[in-house]
Amino acid sequence: MIQLMLFRRTFVRLSMVVGLGLLSTTAAAQDLSIAAASDLQAVFPVVAERFERETGKKVGLTFGSSGNFFSQIQHGAPFDLFFSADHDYAVRLEASGLAERGSLYRYAVGRIVLWTRNDSGIDVRRGLSVLVDPRVKRVAIANPEHAPYGRAAVAALQREKLYEAVRPKFVFGESVSQAAQFIQSGNSEAGIIALSLALGPALRANGSYSEVPAGSHPPIEQSAVITSASRHKDVARQFLSFLKQPEISRMMQDFGFTIPSNP
Amino acid sequence: MDWLAIWLSVKLATIVATILLLIGLPIAYWLTFSAWRWKFLVEAVVALPLVLPPTVLGFYVLVAIGSRSPLGRAWTAWTGHGLAFTFEALVLASILYSLPFAVQPIAASFAQVDGTLLEASSTLGSSRWRTFVRVLLPLSFEGVLAGAVLSFAHTLGEFGVVLMVGGNLPGITRTVSISIYDSVQAFDQAAANQTALLLLAFSFAVLAGVYALRRKSWSVSPL
Amino acid sequence: MSLTASVHKRLSEHFSLDIDMSAMPGITMVFGASGSGKTTLLRCLAGLVKPDSGCITIGAEVLFDSVRSRSVPVQQRHIGYVFQQLALFPHLSAEDNIGYGLAAMSPELRRQRVKAIAESLHITHLLSRLPDAISGGERQRVALARSLVTDPAFLLLDEPLSALDHATRSRIMDDLRAWNVAHRIPILYVTHSHREVFALGERVIVLDGGKITSDGTPHDVMESPAHETLAQLAGFDNFFDGTVTVRRADAGTMQCRLDGSGTEMEVPLSRGAVESPVRVAIRAGDILLATSEPRGLSARNVLPGRLVSLKREGATVIAGVEAGERFLVHVTPGACESLRLGVGDPVWLIIKTHSCRLVSL
Repeated sequence: MIQLMLFRRTFVRLSMVVGLGLLSTTAAAQDLSIAAASDLQAVFPVVAERFERETGKKVGLTFGSSGNFFSQIQHGAPFDLFFSADHDYAVRLEASGLAERGSLYRYAVGRIVLWTRNDSGIDVRRGLSVLVDPRVKRVAIANPEHAPYGRAAVAALQREKLYEAVRPKFVFGESVSQAAQFIQSGNSEAGIIALSLALGPALRANGSYSEVPAGSHPPIEQSAVITSASRHKDVARQFLSFLKQPEISRMMQDFGFTIPSNP
Repeated sequence: MDWLAIWLSVKLATIVATILLLIGLPIAYWLTFSAWRWKFLVEAVVALPLVLPPTVLGFYVLVAIGSRSPLGRAWTAWTGHGLAFTFEALVLASILYSLPFAVQPIAASFAQVDGTLLEASSTLGSSRWRTFVRVLLPLSFEGVLAGAVLSFAHTLGEFGVVLMVGGNLPGITRTVSISIYDSVQAFDQAAANQTALLLLAFSFAVLAGVYALRRKSWSVSPL
Repeated sequence: MSLTASVHKRLSEHFSLDIDMSAMPGITMVFGASGSGKTTLLRCLAGLVKPDSGCITIGAEVLFDSVRSRSVPVQQRHIGYVFQQLALFPHLSAEDNIGYGLAAMSPELRRQRVKAIAESLHITHLLSRLPDAISGGERQRVALARSLVTDPAFLLLDEPLSALDHATRSRIMDDLRAWNVAHRIPILYVTHSHREVFALGERVIVLDGGKITSDGTPHDVMESPAHETLAQLAGFDNFFDGTVTVRRADAGTMQCRLDGSGTEMEVPLSRGAVESPVRVAIRAGDILLATSEPRGLSARNVLPGRLVSLKREGATVIAGVEAGERFLVHVTPGACESLRLGVGDPVWLIIKTHSCRLVSL
């Protein structure tokens, strides 16, 4: 009988929690929701924080693979801004009406680098050919199916005729930052990741990189769009303008991005 | 420490476990006592989330409730915004994903109650509802509790489905499991460790508390 | 009010229940071997099982009528049912168990009623205990109290006292009878023990293969068992096949020749014509043993034989005698000693005509 009473009491308490939970509004109300390609993982938190300080508008950042965001937005994901690492996704969204026409902004051109931990004993200055070395057992790249940095890595390897030799060693990250994390945690001896990540505080401290020649792969043109479904288009436009400020442009360049000229 | 994500996860798990109790009890009752010859089909459907990879389930849920689906569009017409990538979408997906974790322990518990006791209750004039409340439930209390706790714990740890259906929106669909993943992606091992440890401690405390309570509900108190 | 039931239910390819009975207020035993359909009959009366066809009424109320498609659900039949396993709710105290069927009553009134029935069944000291803290005959009393307190229209008991010793059983039955003096409802008591039938019974219905084969007082039914299964249950040990040779209608007897041995026996008159087969049943306790050829006896069957086995079983010695057929005879140990019986001794069997019962084949 005691257990029955206990059960009833617990049930009543639980119902109260549920009721409160259902009534409570979700989280910190955001002014802007941004889907950002994971190569922006190192630089965008700082940019967003500056934006919040200057404008008082709260920014919610979600990092991930551009391909995933693309499909999520097609299914109605409520992002206001999409910073794709692949220009093509942005164009397709604009064309299908899911992104505001005319909002497309080429915000950066990215670079890939070969990266390894300092204690791995791998000399990345030798270039991509070092990946063939038997000491390199696993090579981490972003998944080329949906990540532009992954596709660029594959293209560069193919150009240097190293693809077939390195392919069996591939370990795919769901995004380029996960690929970087594989190397950083020691699960891969080396890999090809974004320059912006390599320049980030976490990786710079304990690894070294060498740039992969820009001509060895199609350029990684990164573009942003404002989603048509956005309810904060004005704030989104404010953010895009903020990006164009010279100080912020410099910050992006410090992280290895080239800022293209926009027509 | 991402307190927001922790609160979100606890809220999600609590709501889902409660709803699953409410719908799990009738489903388990029907599965235990129905003699319908096609019952095995329902049993298979209920058990499906056990074998489906989370990404498959997440994909189907997204397709079913996304802005292009009839359900999604109806929802938008009714509420003004989409269903996918909201907290409500996580609740829906988690209900589907944790359903067998609620239904199976409850059904198993119902089945082990001596049928003669239920018949005795009927011969003493009790309606089916009264027999359910006064005989079946108290005697299967352990299974019902197990169903609630398991669906709570399972939802708390859910990752794949949440990521696909929720979109990882901070404060809205960024549950603690996603938050840990994010911290790792941002190379913030310290934050990841902290949050993970808290989640572990909390889950352990909940489970230990439940198991401590779990004595046979009709035995004489040892005092 | 009496209970009438005609019930037909097919349970399997080879077995169907086919009953037509009525029970007046008072105790009616339902006797039969396991598998004879006793429990199914009770379950049909209770409403736990739906008959294929038939009609069940209590007094003027119709509980089941297949012709008019009427079937009162079990909850509304207002019966008392004591299951074989008792089915006491393990999570409720004895008091709550007994009061379970009185949910519609006010708590005060319920407590009074429970107390009253507990007093009449001598279990007031147990009321606060849980079933697993109650043992033996007292559990049966709690189960009985639970069924009786609701003032049922009729009571069904499924072998409720079989696990108890004779003294406890008769005490409980006395209490039940005392209760029934005031309430006068039909009580159906199912058992497979012929000892219980004799010990408790008022009227007995015999069930065999799903059908009623005998109906009457225990003495009527058990002393002249019409069927072998019943005879075996009723304690007959010797069964022989034979053929009628002579009919003596004026004397009320027949002569028959036992198959195999050709032994001639005089048996009571029955309907069989000459040359028709018979089956003879004789209780081991009805046969006398003599160590020398007896003379001047009234018994019509005196068979010479040889003692082939002696086995002591409790207070009886079972003697196996080869006299054309193999006979089992009960003697007291005292007789065994004073006659100085030994295996291999020549003996004579003395069997009265009316100790031979003819059972249906």
